Amino acid sequence: MKITVLGAGPGGYVAAIKAAQLGAEVTVIEDGEVGGTCLNWGCIPTKTLIASAEVLHKIKNAKKFGLELDGTVTPNIEKIVERKNKVVSTQVKGIRGLFKSWGVTLVEGRGVIVDPKKIQVTLKDGTTQDVDTDKIIIATGSRPAQIPVFPFDGKRILSSDNAINPDSIPKSLLIVGAGVIGCEFAFIYKEFGSDVTMVEMMPNAVSTEDDEIAQILERELKKNKIKLLTNTSVDKVDVKDDGISVQLSNGKTIEAEKMLVSIGRAVNSENMGLEDVGVNKGQRGDIIVDEKLQTNVEGIYAIGDVIGGIMLAHLASKEGIVAAENAMGGDSKVNYDVVPAAIFTSPEIGSVGLREKQAAEKGINYKVGKFQFRGLGKAHAMGEIVGMFKIISDQESDKILGAHIIGAHASDLVHEIAVAMEKGLTVMDIAHTIHAHPTLAEGIMEAAEDVHDMAIHSPKK
Amino acid sequence: MYPDDIKYHKEHTWVRVDGKKATVGITFYAQETLGDIVYIDEPEIDSSVESGAEFTQIESTKATSAVISPVSGKIIEFNEDLGDAPEVINEEPYGKGWIAVIELEDESELDKLLDAGAYEKYVEEEVKDK
Repeated sequence: MKITVLGAGPGGYVAAIKAAQLGAEVTVIEDGEVGGTCLNWGCIPTKTLIASAEVLHKIKNAKKFGLELDGTVTPNIEKIVERKNKVVSTQVKGIRGLFKSWGVTLVEGRGVIVDPKKIQVTLKDGTTQDVDTDKIIIATGSRPAQIPVFPFDGKRILSSDNAINPDSIPKSLLIVGAGVIGCEFAFIYKEFGSDVTMVEMMPNAVSTEDDEIAQILERELKKNKIKLLTNTSVDKVDVKDDGISVQLSNGKTIEAEKMLVSIGRAVNSENMGLEDVGVNKGQRGDIIVDEKLQTNVEGIYAIGDVIGGIMLAHLASKEGIVAAENAMGGDSKVNYDVVPAAIFTSPEIGSVGLREKQAAEKGINYKVGKFQFRGLGKAHAMGEIVGMFKIISDQESDKILGAHIIGAHASDLVHEIAVAMEKGLTVMDIAHTIHAHPTLAEGIMEAAEDVHDMAIHSPKK
Repeated sequence: MYPDDIKYHKEHTWVRVDGKKATVGITFYAQETLGDIVYIDEPEIDSSVESGAEFTQIESTKATSAVISPVSGKIIEFNEDLGDAPEVINEEPYGKGWIAVIELEDESELDKLLDAGAYEKYVEEEVKDK
């Protein structure tokens, strides 16, 4: 069986390795760099910038930990980006090494599907190469969406792709869109010294999160003196020599040195032959797939950002595994009810499953348990007392419907609940499990106990 | 602990009136119960508040709590010094630890508030046992 994967991002490279593990002869076609957006432009680059910002934050707050700092500390953006590039290139080499180890052939160039059994690749040198195949997995991902009337110029109007490679720290930064990407960059640039203002059309920042979590994050934005204008949109942008001038829907004008547009992502489904082979697409260009991730064309599968929906690297990877299994004759599906998500703001957010509002909208008879980070000895020891654990459960079955955590290491902590949900465990299963002391994970146990008003470290209700 | 020149709300806030201007803060009991104050949210200037309703939030090492306004009116000033030094609320809840100035809407509301003696009694008898 020959399987060809279009795109070597977190969806495509995982699909390729899985297919190889299952015995397929695998070719991966990649126009950019292996690792895709996640490794080269998104997840990993932002996390390395955040790591630098966190060290800076710790040093600035050294006094609180009883440490005397002799001298000052300043971010050197060139060195910070250099470190980022090093981390990325190490990971890129890692994926290339995995391909080699599993016998996956990497063809570097732009692939166009000629027919369901053939892809033509335009190589870097301009020549073409045909790749014959039995099945195709499309994993071409997405790119930063732009506002047509003020497109990215990379100098004044930045995309997230530009924002991970700054050549300087702007004195002031206006961020359009206070979603996951906007908020992560807000904390990074604020820490590095920019004066940051965010403009968001929705009533809340991170509007895809549970309302209470979003509220806590908004307070942290305020604490960090990051301005957030909600229910506000951008009417007009004037690019000037020394910056931008932006007219807002509330009638006000904001001047800033640079502007980052983080309003979402557009799928990459153009100019790759999909129309010619008759692959159905949705209104936004998203490739339509069935439960087995197969498109309407037999033998052509699609995964990850390009199928729209939740755009998360790890979901793309899971879809890659499922598509590879199905392409090899399996019958796999993705459980979309249990998709953990992480936001690397300060503090972090980790979530999985239903938000409280969703549970209410579905008419579920639900219960909520909460516990504050400041109720944990470990949080005090770390100096990280901001945050909350929240568990939503089904009143009758006691099964967990969702969990939402904001606080230090929330992105790691949420997985205990993800496993519990995947296996259909109850709130009491979590509450009965001994959690090591002193850890932040104790907060999950306490929140589980709190569902039944029995949290040991909460006052009687 | 409970000075005589100010009035008290049962939600553990106080008000000192000077003409139309009402300076508000949290009481000694409130700061003692909360523990070390680490942050106070800056309320929106020019926004309206109702007596008995939340007008901002306060964070301590123990809890995040709503701060209830003892009077109705418009918030005209916030104590900016608390931004960098919220612990002043613990040190001087009735002095440098004031939170905001509210332009009074209805002076008759003040009659419904407690005086120092009544508030102290309220704290001793009704709150501390709970």
